[in-house]
Amino acid sequence: MMNRRQLLATMTSATLLASTRDGWAQTTSVFRIAAFNPITGAGAPYGAGMQKIILAAVDEVNAAGGAGGRKIEVLPEDTQTDPQAAVLAAKKLIEINNVQALVGIWSSGVTLATIPLANDANILLMCTSGAPEITTSKINAKRLVYRFNTTGDGFGKAIAEACAQEGFKRPATMAYNNASALGIVEGFRKNWEQKGGKVVGAVVYEPNQPSYRSELQKVLAAKPDVIVMGSYLPDTTIILREWYQTGETQKWILAGQAAGPDLVKAIGLEASDGLFVVNSITNERSTAFSRYDAAYRKAMDQPGIANIYAAMAWDMVTVLALAMEAAGPNANPSAISAKIREIANPPGKQVSSFAEGKEALKSGKVNYDGASSSLDFNNLGDASADFELSVISKGGLSRKYVVKL
Amino acid sequence: MTAFAELFIGGLMSGIVVGLAALAITLVFGIARFPNAATGDAMTAGAYVALSASAVTGSTIIGGLIGALAGAALGVAAYALVFRKLAGRSSVANLLASIGVAFGIRAVVGLNFGYQQQMFQLPLVRPWHVLGIRIQPNDLDLAVVAAITLAAVFIILYATPVGRRMRAVADDPGLAQVSGISPSRVMVALWALAGSVSSIAGVMYGMKTVITPEMGWNMLLPAFAAAILGGIGHPIGAICAGVLLGTLQEMATPFVGFTYKIAISFVVLLIVLLLRPQGLFSHAEGAR
Amino acid sequence: MEAYLVAVAIIAAIYALLALGLNLQYGLTGLINFGHVGFFCIGAYTAGLMAQYGIPWPLSFLSGAVLAALAAWPLGLVSLKLRDDYFAIVSLGFSEVVRIVVTSEQWLTNGVQGVTGVPKLMRFLGNGLTQPLAVLNLLIAVNILVALAKLRIVRSPFGRMIEAIRDNEEAVKALGKDPAGFKIQVLVLGAAVAGVAGGFYAHYIGYIVPEQFVPLITFYIWMAIIIGGVGRISGAVAGTLILMIIMEGSRFLVDVIPSVSGVKMASIRLGVIGLALVLFTLYRPQGLLGDFTRR
Repeated sequence: MMNRRQLLATMTSATLLASTRDGWAQTTSVFRIAAFNPITGAGAPYGAGMQKIILAAVDEVNAAGGAGGRKIEVLPEDTQTDPQAAVLAAKKLIEINNVQALVGIWSSGVTLATIPLANDANILLMCTSGAPEITTSKINAKRLVYRFNTTGDGFGKAIAEACAQEGFKRPATMAYNNASALGIVEGFRKNWEQKGGKVVGAVVYEPNQPSYRSELQKVLAAKPDVIVMGSYLPDTTIILREWYQTGETQKWILAGQAAGPDLVKAIGLEASDGLFVVNSITNERSTAFSRYDAAYRKAMDQPGIANIYAAMAWDMVTVLALAMEAAGPNANPSAISAKIREIANPPGKQVSSFAEGKEALKSGKVNYDGASSSLDFNNLGDASADFELSVISKGGLSRKYVVKL
Repeated sequence: MTAFAELFIGGLMSGIVVGLAALAITLVFGIARFPNAATGDAMTAGAYVALSASAVTGSTIIGGLIGALAGAALGVAAYALVFRKLAGRSSVANLLASIGVAFGIRAVVGLNFGYQQQMFQLPLVRPWHVLGIRIQPNDLDLAVVAAITLAAVFIILYATPVGRRMRAVADDPGLAQVSGISPSRVMVALWALAGSVSSIAGVMYGMKTVITPEMGWNMLLPAFAAAILGGIGHPIGAICAGVLLGTLQEMATPFVGFTYKIAISFVVLLIVLLLRPQGLFSHAEGAR
Repeated sequence: MEAYLVAVAIIAAIYALLALGLNLQYGLTGLINFGHVGFFCIGAYTAGLMAQYGIPWPLSFLSGAVLAALAAWPLGLVSLKLRDDYFAIVSLGFSEVVRIVVTSEQWLTNGVQGVTGVPKLMRFLGNGLTQPLAVLNLLIAVNILVALAKLRIVRSPFGRMIEAIRDNEEAVKALGKDPAGFKIQVLVLGAAVAGVAGGFYAHYIGYIVPEQFVPLITFYIWMAIIIGGVGRISGAVAGTLILMIIMEGSRFLVDVIPSVSGVKMASIRLGVIGLALVLFTLYRPQGLLGDFTRR
């Protein structure tokens, strides 16, 4: 049949093409990971930075002599923020390149679509995605998936706390229409109502619109004293600019990924003054963060706080390497996974870099506190975090206090 | 009532941007007789060039003008390289080629400027209050630019020899050729005009929002809807239809919500086409 | 290695099915359907949602096909009244409306959270290579079926009528036949095929979300049939394979040419696709294997 013949021809030529790559040899002195990030698509504002920082972090690990007797090799790949493209890319990475970890997945859709593939191949998957299902026992049955971000619920809870502490009484919410942003806003609403409060208005907006004026108008009509928003950099930019030009004066609480130097640059000092930002503690004063910050500035020419997800990606490599070190030579991903909680959670000597941790592991347990948060994982792979409330003033982010949950 | 007034104004402004894009589409549709899917990416390219130019020269206005010129050049290049050779072919062939051109423009923009968002650095201002309704000075500026663009297009079409020839070709290409009108000169002028209008639409869109390589493509569908609604080949129709769809869309939001509002354009388009297949303003046939 | 090739082959076979459906519509009726992804979406969601209730896949695929066909029918009615390029835009609007409805009606579709955990087909075959190979063979069989069906249609009286309509619609009308009904039937049939493709897709990716069903997919399929050759079945298949090679091959280029970063590669891929489209339209409009008799 014509179809099958052509199919066979293509398969042959694809095999020839692929065999020009080293796919066969699996030397045990190298541990291959994929930097699987959104270079294009909706995650593009964050993906390039995440990929570069993963490469930088791996360089550091290798410079310190490798982990568990192995050097780490990175294969960069674009998820295109599209589940379908990502499935094929993941297949290639797993089957042809023999990676043993998928690191730095951003989009929930990509994560949910590739978890089955990672599970089938028994490899690790580390993501920053927000969808709640990712860390359920059904989906994370093999405990190979780790989420280096807080779930929307955690975020929402922290925002609700901060709201209460700041004395706001009439919050309204705005959310980008995707699982993660909705998760944050839902988490806020749930926790706020548990405190006996009421959310006076809620708007969900679609991406890629020429203007968000009507969405803003609806939220403002409810006369809130603060607007809680689950959003990303591009839409936040547009919305805040339009808000400022309405002349309204209420406060905003933004999630960390949307509010950084790029936002300040985009909307100016005056409009950005007084914006609240809630973030998992990046430990700006911690050594891990400053090391990450230095690396990010070198790689992307921007302060590290500009891309929260890159901080998480940095931590992913460090945690992976420390776990590899703790698991010993030639450990497979499941064995490595078993060590992750051990090296990231207390008890143990607090360390903030791979080199430090590698040294400390020789004499006892360690507890890695990361650039993105303290990274204490629960048994389903969720990183718990403490949160901080910061406020933007004079173009810079300054922490007000830690939000106690 | 002020709420509706403000929704109306918001819709008006979005509608103007869509209307300008629709203007570019309707010009090409009326004269070269196919829907040009590269309009969106021409908008994107124009915005990027204007951004770079305004960074270099320090003036947004000059940047915008350079962007418009770049748009014109892009249009002429597209004609010379691609569409001239497709002159006799079906409108589908041209449409598909225009999609190819669109992808090509986006690829070049992506390679040159990257995928991070960029912005025009415009000062933010507080609004004026007129009769309890908020009116934004930036809006007025954009509306003025749109009006000037429309006026320029009109003057070109109705008061210059080249414009007259364009309209002749639009009305009856066979007759125009027989009358001695050289098609290629008219086409070059057309594509230059359409290209610069797309650029201006892109710059305006970029000023209202952010500049990314995908921005123009996202505008394409509403712009097509407006162009068809307004009647192919009718510049005023395109702008009016854009404004109509924009305002209807925004004013419908209290009733249909913010996700369904996007569908409003298509529903309106469908209804109008079923009742009046040639569009609102056109006299040419649009039905089979 | 084999698992990767099988994965690519499955996606290719799904796209080929979509291309065959579109080819049926455009090849036989000349209708320019830019809303094909809408039928794909309907089929995918029907299968995915029914799977959550344990409904066996042959039934859910059939339901998906039927629902897609039902959605195509009003579109077909509309197509009768509009000229070709207007219909193209309206059909594009249709697929966007489908996507918007799926996004908004969360009670039914789970909205932007998507439908997770759509099980693999024929799970009983285990975790190795057997299961995907079985799915692939099933897909190829369905493709062949659709191709055979098209051939039978073309040779039947119905098909001759369609040819006649394509060649001279006025003459057909003058003979007292109604071309409209035939056109709608073909449109509906093509939509049903897309619905079945959607079912396979949902079960393969395992997770479906509205943002996967964007007009870009429709345009990729159009590209496949343009490049492969409109009107010919082999053209649809060949075009799909070429499309897949461009999309997947570019991944390997990054390995071979390390100086090209991921960002650049995405732009290059887009540029190549655009260039291919332009070149084929200019110099080989009938595609690689296409029908030389068409205009």
